[in-house]
Amino acid sequence: MSLRPSGAFWPSALKQLWLPVLCVAGLLLGTAGSTSFYFPPATDVLATLWRELVHDGLAADLLFSLRNIMVGLAIAIVAGVGAGLVIGETELLRQATTPLLDFARATPTVAFVPVIILTLGIGSGPKIFLIALGSVWPILLNTVSGVHGINPAVHETTRSYRIPVRLRLLKVVLPGALPQIFAGIRVALSIAVVLMVVSEIYGSPVGLGNFILQSGSGFAVPEVWAGTVLIGILGYGLSVLLLAAEYVLLGWYHERPPRNRRARSLPRNEVTTS
Amino acid sequence: MAMSTMRGRRAADRVSLTSREGRKGPGRRGLFLLQLSAVMAVLLIWAVITAAGFVSSTALPGPLSVFGRFPGLLGSDAYWQAVGDTLGGALTGFLLAVVFGVPLGLVTGTYAVAEQSSRLLVDVLRSFPVIALLPVFLLVLGSTPAMKSTVVFLACVFPLFLQAQYGARSVPPMIAETVHGYRVPRLLRFRRVVLPSATPSIMTGLRLAGTTSVLVAIGVEVLTTLPGIGHEVVQAQQGGASASAYAYILTAGAIGYAINLLSQFAEMRLLRWRRLRHTD
Repeated sequence: MSLRPSGAFWPSALKQLWLPVLCVAGLLLGTAGSTSFYFPPATDVLATLWRELVHDGLAADLLFSLRNIMVGLAIAIVAGVGAGLVIGETELLRQATTPLLDFARATPTVAFVPVIILTLGIGSGPKIFLIALGSVWPILLNTVSGVHGINPAVHETTRSYRIPVRLRLLKVVLPGALPQIFAGIRVALSIAVVLMVVSEIYGSPVGLGNFILQSGSGFAVPEVWAGTVLIGILGYGLSVLLLAAEYVLLGWYHERPPRNRRARSLPRNEVTTS
Repeated sequence: MAMSTMRGRRAADRVSLTSREGRKGPGRRGLFLLQLSAVMAVLLIWAVITAAGFVSSTALPGPLSVFGRFPGLLGSDAYWQAVGDTLGGALTGFLLAVVFGVPLGLVTGTYAVAEQSSRLLVDVLRSFPVIALLPVFLLVLGSTPAMKSTVVFLACVFPLFLQAQYGARSVPPMIAETVHGYRVPRLLRFRRVVLPSATPSIMTGLRLAGTTSVLVAIGVEVLTTLPGIGHEVVQAQQGGASASAYAYILTAGAIGYAINLLSQFAEMRLLRWRRLRHTD
């Protein structure tokens, strides 16, 4: 709605930035020279983060976590979109599986963490499995609903022109469902990050979760904060990357400015997970 | 006029419903049987997989042994205690998040300046995986039920805030300008204009936050020694009772499913005047 003219860049940037800058400044000043054990100065935390990343093993932890998320999410996307296309295209199957999928989606995957890790071990395989298991449901459900939501007229047209199935799936159904699929992937990403952290805190010799757990049990408070900040950066960075990918891939779909689009996407993806 | 449009809409709903049934034809009863057979098929596949020994019975016990645990569990106090602990922690955090998130979202959604100022901050904070703060909270607050509620609160407040904000922004510009032009008092405007148009979106936020609250509560229990469903899963699995662990996992699923159904029901009752966008 409030699409700003491109000339008014500075006022709008100022409007958006004053509060974050104020918060960061407040954090820096408020904790400067802090002697509190639990809340070390923010500069110390950042220094610790830098030191751990560059000199100690934190970079390896970061890579381990990042790889697990990427692989798990990739599996979930492939499986979720594939199964979603099939289920969404077959009306009978869609109706039959609705309660099952809703139940699966409502089951908190974190409850599987002890079961999977205690039986399958603490390596990265079980973690990837957990991440894929948790993040497949929103993608699957959104694909189903995206496919189902395609205008029936489009279907009839492709049918009457006898467009081959493969072509129809790739050129009609998949693009039509893509906006919803992306909304699902965005939900899946946040689930994946949570599962990454939980599975690594629960049982792992490496990873960011393990790093903050180890630091925490050693009462190395700046390290705990540094690891936490890094996980936050990771979560935010991944979601920004995803938005960028969506911006490129779905340029044809959103002619609205990205801000409105993002605001819309939350209810849209939730509509399908009901 | 409002009445007539409402009736018109409901009639339209009915028409679309019947036409949909007419097209596919399984009917209500047929649909139920169809869904039941799908559930049965999944249970059967599960039974076959475990019976054939593809996976060890500690990783995945058969459906019979899992469901066989339920009579014993349902009669035990420990089970209900665990369910109560999880729900209690989830509900406290959830309600706190409603109290803070919804009004703040409505205010920032109504005033563009507030929304623009907070956008970047909220964007960064909401993509933060709250569960990563757990070690910090363990240090600062210790392993207490209050800590569990705090983590749940932090996880739930952002979806609620964003949905309320989005809802408040969805007031049609023409109506917003009319209200502005007639200088409708602020409180009245909130009650009569902003709130009704934001309600559907807020309901979505409530549903999102509802499932999140249980998820996070269980996550905290898995990772700490706090009592609840998550803790019971860990205990059962470590004690070699996988079937009980799965029974608790299914309980967690049932709770999540029930929250979804309840919120759908509430939405239908509360928003009868508005057409549901997701009837199926």
